[in-house]
Amino acid sequence: MPESAADPSVPPSTTYDAVTCPFCALLCDDLVVTSSAGRLSAGDNACPKARASFARPVPAATPLVDGKPTSYALAVAAAVKRLKKSRQPLIAGLGTDVDGVRAALLLAERCGAILDHRHGRALLNNLRVLQSRGQATTTLGEVRNRADLVVLVGASIDEDFHGFARRCLRPADALLPERLARRQILHLGPAAKLPRQPGVDAQSLPCRDEELLEILNAVRALRAGRSTRLKARRLQLVTTLVERIAAAEYAVFVWAPGQLGVDGDLVIGALCDLIADLNRTQRAAGLALGGNDGGQSALATAAWHTGYPLQLSYAGATIEYDPLRFDTARLLADGAVDLLLWISSFNPVLAPASDAPLVVLGLPGTPLRATGEDGNAIFLPVGTPGLDHAGRLMRTDGVVALPLAQLRALGLPSAAKVLADLAEGMV
Amino acid sequence: MAGQITELRGGRVYDPANGVDGEVRSIYLRDGRIVAAPSDPGEIRRTFDLDGCVVMAGGVDIHTHIGGGKVNLARMLLPEDHREDLVPRGRHPRMGCGHAAPSTLTVGYRYAEMGYTACFEPAMLPANARQAHLELGDTPIVDKGAYVLLGNDDLLLRMLAGKADGAQIRDYIAWTLRAAQAMAIKVVNPGGINAFKFNQRKLDLDEPNAHYGVTPRAVLQALADGIRQLGLPHPLHIHGCNLGVPGNLETTLATIAALDGLPAHLTHVQFHSYGTEGDRKFSSGAARVAEIVNRSPNISMDVGQVLFGQTVTESGDSMRQYAGSAFGSPKKSVLMDIECDAGCGVVPFKYKDKNFVNALQWAIGLELFLLVEDPWRLFLTTDHPNGAPFTTYPHLIRLLTDRSFRNDMLKTINPDAAAASTLGSLEREYSLYEIAIMTRAGPAKSLGLSELGQLGVGARADVAVYVEDADRERMFTTPRYVFKAGELIVENGRVIATPHGATHVVRVDYDRAIEPFVDDYFERYMTVRRRHLEVADGEIEDSGRGSLVVHGARRSA
Repeated sequence: MPESAADPSVPPSTTYDAVTCPFCALLCDDLVVTSSAGRLSAGDNACPKARASFARPVPAATPLVDGKPTSYALAVAAAVKRLKKSRQPLIAGLGTDVDGVRAALLLAERCGAILDHRHGRALLNNLRVLQSRGQATTTLGEVRNRADLVVLVGASIDEDFHGFARRCLRPADALLPERLARRQILHLGPAAKLPRQPGVDAQSLPCRDEELLEILNAVRALRAGRSTRLKARRLQLVTTLVERIAAAEYAVFVWAPGQLGVDGDLVIGALCDLIADLNRTQRAAGLALGGNDGGQSALATAAWHTGYPLQLSYAGATIEYDPLRFDTARLLADGAVDLLLWISSFNPVLAPASDAPLVVLGLPGTPLRATGEDGNAIFLPVGTPGLDHAGRLMRTDGVVALPLAQLRALGLPSAAKVLADLAEGMV
Repeated sequence: MAGQITELRGGRVYDPANGVDGEVRSIYLRDGRIVAAPSDPGEIRRTFDLDGCVVMAGGVDIHTHIGGGKVNLARMLLPEDHREDLVPRGRHPRMGCGHAAPSTLTVGYRYAEMGYTACFEPAMLPANARQAHLELGDTPIVDKGAYVLLGNDDLLLRMLAGKADGAQIRDYIAWTLRAAQAMAIKVVNPGGINAFKFNQRKLDLDEPNAHYGVTPRAVLQALADGIRQLGLPHPLHIHGCNLGVPGNLETTLATIAALDGLPAHLTHVQFHSYGTEGDRKFSSGAARVAEIVNRSPNISMDVGQVLFGQTVTESGDSMRQYAGSAFGSPKKSVLMDIECDAGCGVVPFKYKDKNFVNALQWAIGLELFLLVEDPWRLFLTTDHPNGAPFTTYPHLIRLLTDRSFRNDMLKTINPDAAAASTLGSLEREYSLYEIAIMTRAGPAKSLGLSELGQLGVGARADVAVYVEDADRERMFTTPRYVFKAGELIVENGRVIATPHGATHVVRVDYDRAIEPFVDDYFERYMTVRRRHLEVADGEIEDSGRGSLVVHGARRSA
């Protein structure tokens, strides 16, 4: 594990430079963060979401079994007992780092669990395209240095992925400064998603999310010399896209799988087909912004352990991969699982509502149920990777993994530690 | 048990590093090492009677794609391939999947079950080094290590374009080795991956990069010379220009000439030994390549043998993988431009024995094996999984050791390919001694791993025991016993213990002044800081999941 930055000998207020932010999958690694008596304050290079997330107060917390405070050991023992009794547990949320996913996979194997992530459906939008036709993609550093055209497709970067503008779209310098100087940012999608943060200077090509598929198909058709039936206003937009793309030396198409509509996988598929068309004669690539809450780490770690990304199951004689069947919402709606183990160590996210007994590995102060009821539920407080303990996370581009340091010592265990203790109990 | 000796009694021992060629003798293990015969037989705690068995050091795979971004992309791309080879609960200590893109857990178990105890990932990108080590950390039993890619990174190309001096390039090589925790330096399509980002579709040895003006020749020479001066144990590991292109044997010969006597390892040479003769303009260049390799003592190589069936090709060579994707099956591929560092391409492939080109690729690989004379400079690989999955090694060994079996196979392939190959006339059959060189002693020596690949006193007690069988495929598929650092880990081809293997790294001194230089580059241009790119020792030790073995320069630089 990366070494802890917290040291009992340091003065009560310490400022760390080059802190990695775990609160979205961009993993900006140049934040300046001050730690003072357990309170963190993110300054330079922190986006609004990072500032709010680092500053989030952490109330005192104790493990709870059915609403009653108890010791860590007794809460773990109670959770093990319920896991052993469960005929079909589901481990979901999966908001943790690589080590947490490693431990969750071991626990799942030992208790025959199904595994999904909070953003499983969004991640699946991308995977479906990958598994059906492949993809040509690029990484943050390439966008920053090489792109002369970036098209944001139905993506919003003002809340999540805020740092994408500062670090990739409009950096101060690039290896190919002439491309940075002439770089055009186009935004194809609803005006509400247009970047409002200063300095992006994106040209809006407004359309509704539901029109993206038709427009992208029209771009492909027009490039291929086929006619389209689009109305004049849309045709103008398509023509602009075709012209800008034709003039680009390195065009990057950016989408956020979690921000597209119900036809998200079709939109991504059309984009990937367009990129494939372009690569026959020029260079182009895609970049998906997604995998927050450790989603990218969950996919990658599950894939190297099992061969499969999510969603998967250890319930049978072999590992089973079936994203539709092992979808959290569907399993809960069908009453197909009899225990939900919910992990959320980046944000205080409520477990999805269900009648199933609940085990929550969550941030202190996270309610167990929206109703406030705490019966048939176990709560094990955990810390946040990169704040309360060291760890590692995968970035949105699926290439770079970054080390996370500990910035404060509140005595909160990592989700990895709790999951390992649960797995130990299952032996 | 400390101080207690295990005796492997009376097997036929093949230990080429120590000149032992099939002598019946006993091997003694204590505290994880090979020791001399004890003077007091009372020290022997356990004896394995190996009458009728062949004893070799644990296998060492010098080139196998087992961990890192492109491997994981291949896994995610091919759920249909996993379904054909799922490892059921109870078969191994952990569940997983095998075949073309196996899970890390299954990789470790299956290598051990074949008698291999060390595997080296040949294509780790600096930008992806942390993930590669995470995956290697989850690869049980075997020792491991990785070669880090240089030569397509914009930083080195800028340095070469700006006529950086040799000392600065050496410092950058040594820093990269340290930062990525690597064993050796690999170059893939020198400068070509970078050129592809500028839309160049091919890059010959003397063709300049459109932006930097740097040629592959200049990249190769700078890296090979820097490595020699640094004294790294393994020379530059070269995946050359023009992979898979008919006529590329000329590029391969020119590459050897360009090295001008500098030590180098040419990898998966089968994919680089193609001529343009015949009606189909595709022919074997194996004889000419082998002839030059035989005359070039500075060159070692591995073959990258093709064997028939479904697999997936995973390579940093985005330029050539893109070109090859037209021939992929099933028709879906991944192409990536990566972090101003390198790239990758993942293309599923089905090699068919009735297809002229595939069948000739198979024959070319075998011709290379049989025509290159010195097994100390030729290593057995399929470039897993690019030519075939590593689990085909026992079959490949049978093809090399059994001429009549080989000729029977030759009769089943595309007849035009069979007719175009000299394979049928090649009489050579590899001996077990030579197999032990190609799969153990040679790779270990090339990597500078003096304790591995051999059974001399003081060596690490990684030992594979096979039941002698005229069918070498059956023999090498299921070892009777495998020991890892003296511990019995496999019995009758089944894993019974799962120790964590070590990660081998090479470190050499360098002028730390390179670090602020790299810092400045990373802060100005990249999206990670230099110190976040660097993989710390503790990340590999990883709370007991792994350990580091640090090797130094082969000689003082």
